[in-house]
Amino acid sequence: MPVPSCTIFERLYRFLATRRRALFGTTILLVILATLASTRLHIEEDIAAMLPDDGSSVAKDFELLQLAPFTRKVVITLSGGEGTDPATLSAAADRLAASLAGAGVSKVTTGPDSAAGGLFRWLGSTLGSLAGEEELSRLGTMSTGAEVQKRLRASYESLLSPEGWALKGSIQNDPLSFSAVAMEKMRFLNMIPHLRLVDNHFMSADGKNALVVLDSTVSMTDSDGSRKLLERIRQGVAKSLPQGVSATVISGHRYTLVNADTIKGDLALILTVTSVAVLGIYFFFLRSLSAVFVFLVPSSILVIASGVMACLDSNVYALTLGFGGVLLGIADEYAMLIYFSCRQGGKDIGTITGEVARPVLFGAAATLLSFGVMMISALPGQRELAIYSMIGIVASVAISLVVLPHLVKPLPQAAVPAARLDLMPRLPRRLVIGVWLGILLLCGWQTTKVRFNGKLSAVSMVTSELKEAEDQVAKTWGDVRGKALVFAEGPDLDAALAVNDRLFARLGKRFAPGELVSIAPLLPSSALQEENRQRWISYWKDGRAARLAADLGREGEALGFSGDAFKPFLERLSTPPPAATEEGMRAAGMEELVNSLIVRSPGGVRVLTMVPDTPEAIASLSEELKGIPGVRLVSQTRFATQMSGAIVHDFTRYLTITCILVFALVAIIFRNPRRIALVLVPVVTGLVCSLGIMGMLGMEFNIFNIAATILIIGLCVDYGIFTVCRLTEGSTHAADRAVLVSGLTTLAGLGALALARHPSMHSIGMTVLLGIGTGIPAALLVIPALCREEES
Amino acid sequence: MRYLFIAIAATFFFIFSIGAQVTGAAQAPPESVFQQLQRTASGVRTLSSDFVQEKHLSMFKTVVSSKGRFNFNKPDQLRWEITAPVASGFVLKGDKGRRWHAHTGRTESFQISQEPVMKLVADQLLSWAQADFARIQKEYRITVLDDAPVSLRLEPTSATTAGFLRYLLVSFSPDGRYVRTVEVHEQDGDFTRIKFVNTAVNKPLKADLF
Repeated sequence: MPVPSCTIFERLYRFLATRRRALFGTTILLVILATLASTRLHIEEDIAAMLPDDGSSVAKDFELLQLAPFTRKVVITLSGGEGTDPATLSAAADRLAASLAGAGVSKVTTGPDSAAGGLFRWLGSTLGSLAGEEELSRLGTMSTGAEVQKRLRASYESLLSPEGWALKGSIQNDPLSFSAVAMEKMRFLNMIPHLRLVDNHFMSADGKNALVVLDSTVSMTDSDGSRKLLERIRQGVAKSLPQGVSATVISGHRYTLVNADTIKGDLALILTVTSVAVLGIYFFFLRSLSAVFVFLVPSSILVIASGVMACLDSNVYALTLGFGGVLLGIADEYAMLIYFSCRQGGKDIGTITGEVARPVLFGAAATLLSFGVMMISALPGQRELAIYSMIGIVASVAISLVVLPHLVKPLPQAAVPAARLDLMPRLPRRLVIGVWLGILLLCGWQTTKVRFNGKLSAVSMVTSELKEAEDQVAKTWGDVRGKALVFAEGPDLDAALAVNDRLFARLGKRFAPGELVSIAPLLPSSALQEENRQRWISYWKDGRAARLAADLGREGEALGFSGDAFKPFLERLSTPPPAATEEGMRAAGMEELVNSLIVRSPGGVRVLTMVPDTPEAIASLSEELKGIPGVRLVSQTRFATQMSGAIVHDFTRYLTITCILVFALVAIIFRNPRRIALVLVPVVTGLVCSLGIMGMLGMEFNIFNIAATILIIGLCVDYGIFTVCRLTEGSTHAADRAVLVSGLTTLAGLGALALARHPSMHSIGMTVLLGIGTGIPAALLVIPALCREEES
Repeated sequence: MRYLFIAIAATFFFIFSIGAQVTGAAQAPPESVFQQLQRTASGVRTLSSDFVQEKHLSMFKTVVSSKGRFNFNKPDQLRWEITAPVASGFVLKGDKGRRWHAHTGRTESFQISQEPVMKLVADQLLSWAQADFARIQKEYRITVLDDAPVSLRLEPTSATTAGFLRYLLVSFSPDGRYVRTVEVHEQDGDFTRIKFVNTAVNKPLKADLF
């Protein structure tokens, strides 16, 4: 039976045979240019690579989760040993703060912006705009004759004490301590549960820890900047802290640096191990100088793919380049098939090239299709990976079919023993099929156990040191970062505050002050403040102010106070109170709070409220808050669930589309149901076994496993096509050897990837290792067993 | 015209240079006064004194006088007690404190570091009791008004304190071992005068006072 041929490559070979110098020169020039271009690449270790950028709820939620207080700050906890007093800690905090001011640090905070006096004055003056009906009723109770006598006497005593000269202004303005009612509203602003103010410094409740908060100008995803910033902090800590006081630093910068360092370390390891292993396999199986050229194909395509990427966009995700190691290992099957076919000889190299071009092109088309599906992914990292992989595959096919045949010399026929060509032992057909079916059934059953993990931490490096630091911060300061965020949104601050008022009206009854953090009690919308003001004025107008003035006059007289001692206070009862404003809050020492809870962005303002992030609370709030327009709930636990949902959805979509497209392609190529089924044996085996073994081992499926699954499909289809072409179209055993050796190089490459410490790379490595590791025996043993009569 | 301008400028220069000399002299008190006060105070282990406090405040119809007793035990124990017209007071012992009001019968404990106003008061009282001029000079510009007996005027350097405190007048005993009078002048013209009488130095104090 004549072997089908692609004559265009046969003709191309003959055309270039007389122009080899030009061909080699052009190829070398191309590789040099690509090498130069690839030096422009800027590697990014950005989490954005793993997040959908399709404007979906998941991406939006992630963006909003970054607005949580402390997310973008560097939090330093100073801890003293036994016997360290708060004064030592606060002095150490001040020294550290002074040493850190400068490049990369825009602000260092060790305590509130000013002493409490300003806050009391502000609360007292704005009480009329803040007090609702309930508060007015309490003020009524505080204004009875007996209460006036008791409270005024306490103020009088305070005036006589040494503290009196500092409290005089407060007593003139608020002799009955009305501001205590406003002060209670502050309970809803406790963002750090275990925080206490000691000597105007942030201290833990037990007085053994001080808090220093840094605002940094260094982007959280800038690994170089993060390295410099953390080094500055390390030096500042070493210089500023006395013996017995230690510092724990927590910030996104630390995560960025750990991940960047891990990925860089992994890249070096992977590329080294892969290169050495692939070279070793080549020399073990090929033992020829021509093998050097085969080895150069994957090396060249790595450079070419990187160079083309640099021309498209100089910023490349580190994970895309990490995948280069895999590409280096996998993209040699085409070169391998050409090499073995040409080495086997028996025919003119041009004829061989034409014959081999068919399975090579079929395989490449199927692989390109499976990677092409990744282009519709919502994750930018996966799309970039698809482009990078497809460039590499196209380059691999081009070099393998156009350049390589000119570099491989056929062995003399006597030097090719038949036994060496038929690599795989002839195992009993029924045994092979029986074992295969058994494994397939077992793995098929276990696939149901695979769990999807949408947490970003599942694909991010978190060292035990970082985990311990996080635990210590949570233990010292309480659950600072574990709250769900509710955003009240509006085109301007007042519109957002109006939404926030409605939100607080619901949540204030549901959660205790310690659980709920909201600015609404201290900064209501202008409409609500106006309502409060009107109520305040009419309340005091109703004879109450006059009665209170008379009571104060009488009791004051008895204690020796002058007639106008409390004039400012009494005037406040009869005049419209000033509005509580954002600026007023800042001036009263609440700048940090305001900055944390009011977030401005182009086109709008968001006012942040924080609630407990428990599944029950989130489930009920999700429904309840739908009724308030302009409110958006963002929860970390819900985000993880949504990410899992997105992964399942993406995975199902990829798998379905890829399977349909690959099946259609194979059907068009082979046009025979039996052969189509045979081609798909390695794909089905690889997919079912990888998922089944993952389920069996309790491994979770994350966003990187999707990329790995596509890889399994692409590679296993190639193996299927090569083997079926060999069995049904009368090709030589060179195909078996190509499948085995290229499969081994793939496993070598992926084995190195499984050695990676970074969870994302490790996931890809393990998944593909399982898929390809089972797909190769399926191609070499199961397909021949299933089509033995066709082969004969 | 030019000569007139030069003459005016020269006059201004002369006036300002004299002013600068006077101010400069006032801002840099002779070190020996402080050294002398600190030397004599270093021998003080305990202080015990009655005091009379006069509040000259616009809030009151007349001057309000109160009486009390002050006890100090080196280095950081202090008792400040008003006995009339109302009974109240506080005790400081390191960072811990206790205050009481006789008419409510309530006693409460507190930590000085957690009460900004109380910390300010404690710092002041202890600084003067210990004659800690290094600490005082950090917060005040000191002018020596008289050196026998020593009398000082102190103006706050920090804007926060200057917000309500204009200056302090402090007079020492002839031997310089303790403070006899303190006047706290506020920005609005109000002031408080405290006179310490029957002062006993290094008299053994009962432990339960603190």
